[in-house]
Amino acid sequence: MSPETRSPATVWRRFRGSYFLYRLQRNRRAQVCLTLFVLIMASVLLAPWIAPSNPYDLAQINLLDSELPPFWIAGSEPAHLLGTDVQGRDLLSSMLYGARVSIAIGFGAVLLQSVLGTALGLLAGYRGGFVDALLMRLADIQLSFSTLMMAIIIGAVVKAAFGGAFYGDYGVVILILIIGLSEWPQYARTVRASVLAEKQKDYVDAARVLGFSSYRIMLRHLLPNTLTPIFVLSTIQVANAIMAEAALSFLGLGMPETEPSLGSLIKSGFDYLQSDSWWITLLPGLFLVTLVLVINLLGDWLRDTMNPRLHKG
Amino acid sequence: MRLTTILLGLLMGSLSLLPLTCAAMADDKSTLLRVAYDTDPVSLDIHEQLAIGMLQLSHLAFDPLVRWNRDLQLEPRLATDWERLDDTTMRLHLRHGVTFHSGNAFTAKDVVWTVQRLKRSPDFRAIFAPVERVEAVDDFTVDLRTRQPYPLLLNLATYIFPMDSQFYTGTSAKGQDKSEIVKNGNSFASNHLSGTGPFEIVSRQPGTRIEFKRFPKYWDDDSPGNVDRLVMTPIAESATRVAALLAGDVDFISPVPFSAVQRLRHADGVKLVTMPGTRITMLQLNEQRVPAFRDARVRRAFAYAVNQTAIAERLLKGFATPAAQMSPKGYAGHVSTLTPRYDLARARELMRDAGYGDGFSVTLMAPNNRYVNDAQTAQVALAIAAMLAKINVTVEFETLPKNQYWAKYDNRAADMMMMGWYSDTGDSANFFEYLTFCPDPDTGAGRYNASEYCNPQIDALVDRANLTTRPDARAQLLRQAEQAIHDDAPFIPLYWQNLAWAAAERVDIAPVLNVMNMPYLGDVVVRSR
Amino acid sequence: MIPFLIRRLCQAVLVMFIISMIGFAIQGGLGDPVQQMLGPAATEAEATALRHSLGLDAPLWAQYLDFANDALHLDFGRSYFFHEPALSVIARYLPATLELVAASAVLTLLLSVPMGVFCAIRPRSWLSQTLMGLSVIGISVPVFLTAMVLIQVFSIGIQVTLFPADTGWGHWLNQLFSIEGGMPAYGRGNPVHVLGVWYTNFATLQGILYLLLPAFSLALVMLPLFVRLIHAEMLEVLESDYVKYARARGLRPSRIYFLHALKNTLLPVVTLGGVQIGTLVAYTLLTETVFQWPGAGLMFLDAIERADMPLIVAYLMVVGLLFVVINTLVDLLYRLLNPRITLSGRAA
Repeated sequence: MSPETRSPATVWRRFRGSYFLYRLQRNRRAQVCLTLFVLIMASVLLAPWIAPSNPYDLAQINLLDSELPPFWIAGSEPAHLLGTDVQGRDLLSSMLYGARVSIAIGFGAVLLQSVLGTALGLLAGYRGGFVDALLMRLADIQLSFSTLMMAIIIGAVVKAAFGGAFYGDYGVVILILIIGLSEWPQYARTVRASVLAEKQKDYVDAARVLGFSSYRIMLRHLLPNTLTPIFVLSTIQVANAIMAEAALSFLGLGMPETEPSLGSLIKSGFDYLQSDSWWITLLPGLFLVTLVLVINLLGDWLRDTMNPRLHKG
Repeated sequence: MRLTTILLGLLMGSLSLLPLTCAAMADDKSTLLRVAYDTDPVSLDIHEQLAIGMLQLSHLAFDPLVRWNRDLQLEPRLATDWERLDDTTMRLHLRHGVTFHSGNAFTAKDVVWTVQRLKRSPDFRAIFAPVERVEAVDDFTVDLRTRQPYPLLLNLATYIFPMDSQFYTGTSAKGQDKSEIVKNGNSFASNHLSGTGPFEIVSRQPGTRIEFKRFPKYWDDDSPGNVDRLVMTPIAESATRVAALLAGDVDFISPVPFSAVQRLRHADGVKLVTMPGTRITMLQLNEQRVPAFRDARVRRAFAYAVNQTAIAERLLKGFATPAAQMSPKGYAGHVSTLTPRYDLARARELMRDAGYGDGFSVTLMAPNNRYVNDAQTAQVALAIAAMLAKINVTVEFETLPKNQYWAKYDNRAADMMMMGWYSDTGDSANFFEYLTFCPDPDTGAGRYNASEYCNPQIDALVDRANLTTRPDARAQLLRQAEQAIHDDAPFIPLYWQNLAWAAAERVDIAPVLNVMNMPYLGDVVVRSR
Repeated sequence: MIPFLIRRLCQAVLVMFIISMIGFAIQGGLGDPVQQMLGPAATEAEATALRHSLGLDAPLWAQYLDFANDALHLDFGRSYFFHEPALSVIARYLPATLELVAASAVLTLLLSVPMGVFCAIRPRSWLSQTLMGLSVIGISVPVFLTAMVLIQVFSIGIQVTLFPADTGWGHWLNQLFSIEGGMPAYGRGNPVHVLGVWYTNFATLQGILYLLLPAFSLALVMLPLFVRLIHAEMLEVLESDYVKYARARGLRPSRIYFLHALKNTLLPVVTLGGVQIGTLVAYTLLTETVFQWPGAGLMFLDAIERADMPLIVAYLMVVGLLFVVINTLVDLLYRLLNPRITLSGRAA
C-alpha cells in the first residue's frame, strides 16, 4: 500500500470500479444484510438522539410502568413501543443502548485479538523454531480448552480478584480484555499459515538479501499479504465476540444491571420468565440474533467474494 | 425457529400432553412423609449453629419447654405450667413420664444441663446472656433466674430443647468429651442424638438425606401426628424444589419461591399455604459515612421517596407486605397507624429544606442471589436507586454474593446497606437491640446497626420495656419506640417477605405451620390414599 | 506412536500446571471462607484457629507446594462447603453433566448425519435450502436463548389468542397453535441409582423426560456446525473419482451414499467432534444455569459464589484433564481412521 496521496474522488472511482461492488450488485442476500447492518449500526450509534428515553438515567424510570407489553398486545402504552422491563425501563431504548455496549465490546475485543494474534502469528510464522513451537502449543491448548471456557475462567478470576464494583465500573474494558485474550489463537493460526506460504516466495528472499530488518519484512511485506484473511476472519469474530459477551453477561460475569448489554438484558428478563413477561427476554434476544446473523452472513459472503487462503482451525 | 426445533417440538408437544401424573404414583406407604427444605442441618448438635435448619431439626428430634402456636401464643410442651416468683425468677413445672430416645427418663437436671450448655454455645450464648442461674428445685421443677427483670423469659424457653444429659456426658470411644460443642468439627454431639422429640434418627448423609422414624415412646399421646417414617432431603435450588413437589417426588417443601406461588396455587394435587412473614428487609442509611444523613430531614426525605408498595407489588409480585416499621403485625411493638409514606413532593421539599435540593451521591450494597426465581434483591436495589434519582440522589450500587456481602457489611463498606432481620425472640425489642441501639462492641448492642444511628432516648425506652414484665405497659413502651424511630427515619423499612409452604393434597399441613417457620411435623396428619 | 504419546503427556502436565496456577490465583480474591464457615457471631480467636487448621496462614508459595503435592496424590483438599473431599463432590456432580453431554452428542449425531447427507444429495430441494439457511441462523443463536425459548414453549406453554375466540374456527385455531407446556424444565427429577456415585436419568421414561429439554438445547448449538461440515465434506467426496467409478459400475445410490461416501466424511466429523466436546462442556455452564441441572457446571458456579477454593481448583483440574484426554483420543482416532498421517506428533 503506497502512501501517496489519494483524493476522495479517486477512492470513489476506484470503489465504483471494484470487484467488490460488482459482486455486491449481484447478490440480493448480501445487499439485504448490508442494509440491515448499516441500519442497525446507524440506529445504535445515534441511540442517544433517537431512543425514546435514556435507560441509564435512573430518574426517567418509573417502577409503576413495569412490565408493560409491546404495542401489539392489549395493555400497551404508546410511549413504550416495545414495552418495558421489570423496572419500568423502556425496552426499545434499553435495546438500542444495550446493542451499543455489545457492539463496542465486539469491535474492541476483535481489535485486541487481531492485533495480538497477528503480531504473534507473524512472529511464529517468520521466526519458526522454538518461538513457533511455543506459541502454537499455547494456541492449541487454549483452543482445546474452548475459548468460551477460557473467557469464563478469566472473567471469574478478574471478578473475584477486583470485586464486583470494579468489574461494573470498567465492564466494557474488562470484557474486551477477556474476550480479546481468549480468542487470539484464531488470528495467530490464520496469519501464521499465510506467512508460511508467503515466506517461500522470492520477494521475501530478495528483501532479506537487500538487508532489510526482520521487522521491516514482517510489517511491510508479509503483513499486507495477510490482510485479506484477517479482514474476513474479523467479521466472523465480531459476531463471536458479541455472542461471548452475551454468554458472560448471562452468567453474571458481564455488564452490570445499570449499564446493560444485550446479554444482561436477556439475563434480567430470564429471572422473570415465569411471570409471563416474555418480551423482556425475547425481544433483546431477537435483536441479538439478528445482529449476529447479519454479521455472520456478511462474513460468509466476504469469504466467498475475497476467497482468501483461510486456515481452517 | 429451526426446522429441527419444530419437528422435535411437535414430538415433545405431543409428549407433554400425556398426563405426567404417572410419576406421582411412587410409593404406597401412607405414613411416609418426604420433606424437602432448602438447607440441611449442618450437624446433629443443635447448639452448634443458630440457623433455621437446626431449629427445624430441633422440632423433629427434640421438644422445647414451650412453643409458639399459630396465633403467636405460647403453648406448654415439656414445661406444663409456669409462674413468676418475682421480677427476676420464673418457676417452670416439667412434664412427668417423658423418655429420651436413649431410654433415659427426662428430669429437671436435663433442663439445667441444657441451659448451661446453651450459655457455652458461641451462637446461643448472646440470646441466653440475660439468664443468670438455672437451678433444679426438685425432679420436675426448675427456677430460671435473670440478673434483671426480663419479660421475655418464656420466649427464651422456646429455644430450650432439653438434651439427654446422661447420654451427652462422659468420654466417647475416641476420647472426646461428649458434651463438647465444636463448630464445623467432628464432636460426639454432632454425630449422635438423643432427644425427647417425635422422631428418632435412622440414618444421615450430610447434604443429601436424613431419615427419621416415629419414636414409639413419644410422650405426647394427644398428638394427632401419624407419620411413621420421615425422609428429609435438602434441595437448594428453589425451582427444583417446586418441580420435585409437582412431580410427586416429595410431599412437603419449604420455602416456596415467590415466583412459583401462582403456579402452585393453581396446580392440581398440591396445596399452598401462605402467611405474612415477620422478617423485615430494610435499607440502613449510614450517618458516619454520609454527613447529610445526620440531618433527620434528609433521612425522612429518603423515606418519603421510596415506594414500598410498588416494590412489593411489582418486583415481588405481591408476595411481600410493604413495611413502614420493623415490627410485623402481631408483635408487641406494632403500630397499626404506620403505613408506607411514599410522597415524592414531600421528599423533594424536605431535601430542599435541608439544603440538598440538588442532591448528592451515595453508595449502596445489597446481597444478590444467583438462583432464579428467588427474591431478586438486586432488582429491589436497582428500583430504589431509580426512586432516589427522583430526588436528585445518585446511587452507585453494587450487589454481591452473600458470603462476600457479609464481610463488606461488617466493615460498613457502603453508605446504604440492605439488611434482612428476623427477631429470634419473636418480639419487637430484638429489632431495636440489634438494628437501632447505639453500637457498643462490648455488649454487642447495635451489632447490625449499619445506620450507625444513636438515639439514647429510644434505647432507654426499649431498655425500660425490657424491665417491664407487665405485657400491656411493655407494649406501650415498644410502640412509642417504634413511632420515634419512624419519625427519625435512620433506615428505610421496605417489606416483610411472605412465607409460603406447599404440600401434596393428602398432607394436612396448614395446622402445623406458623410464622416462626417451624413446621411441627410431629403433629402432621397424612391421609392415606 | 510412543513419541506422540510422550509429547501429549508433557502437554497434559503443562496444561495441568497452568490450570492449577490459575485456580490457585483465585484464592486471594474470593471472599473469606473462614468468615463464611463460622458466621458473623464468631470471635477473632475462633477465626484464627480455623484459619490455622485449614492451613490458610502459611505463605502463598508454601500453600501452592502443599497443594501440588496433594494433587499428585489425587487429593484436591476438602470442600469448605460440603466438608468432604473435593474430588468426591465432583464425582457426585460430574455424572449429571456427562449424561447431558452424552445425550446431546447422540442427538447431534442422529440429527446432523441425515440432514447433512440429504442436503448434499439433493442440493436443489427446498428442504435442503431451508436446512442450510436455518443452519446459518442456528450458529447465531446463543444457547441460553434457545434454552429459554424451549422452556417458554414446552414447559410454560403458549396461549395463542390471536384469532377471535368467540367464533368456532377462531377458537379451533387458537387451540391448534397453543401449546400446553408441562415438560419438566428444572432439575434432574429423580434419577435412578446405578452404582457408586452414579445416578442415571436414562433408566426411566421420566428421567429421559427431564433430560430432553437441556440435552436438546445443547444439541442445537452443535447441530448447525455438523450439518454444514457433513454437507461440505459430502459434496467434496461425491465429486471424487471413486464415487464416480462406483456410479459407473452401477452400484445402488443408497449404497454409494451411505457406505462409500459417508465413511469418508467421518474423518473431519470426528476431528470437529473432538474439538467441540470442549465447547460442549463450556456450554453446559450455560444450559445447567438455565435448567438448574445439578451438574458440575452449576456446582462450579456455586463454588465460585461460596469461595469454595478446593472445589474450584479441583473442577478446573478435572475439566482440564478431561479436555486433554479427549483431544488425545481424537488425535489417535484420527490417525487410525486415516493411515496416511504418521504419528509424529505434529499438530493437525
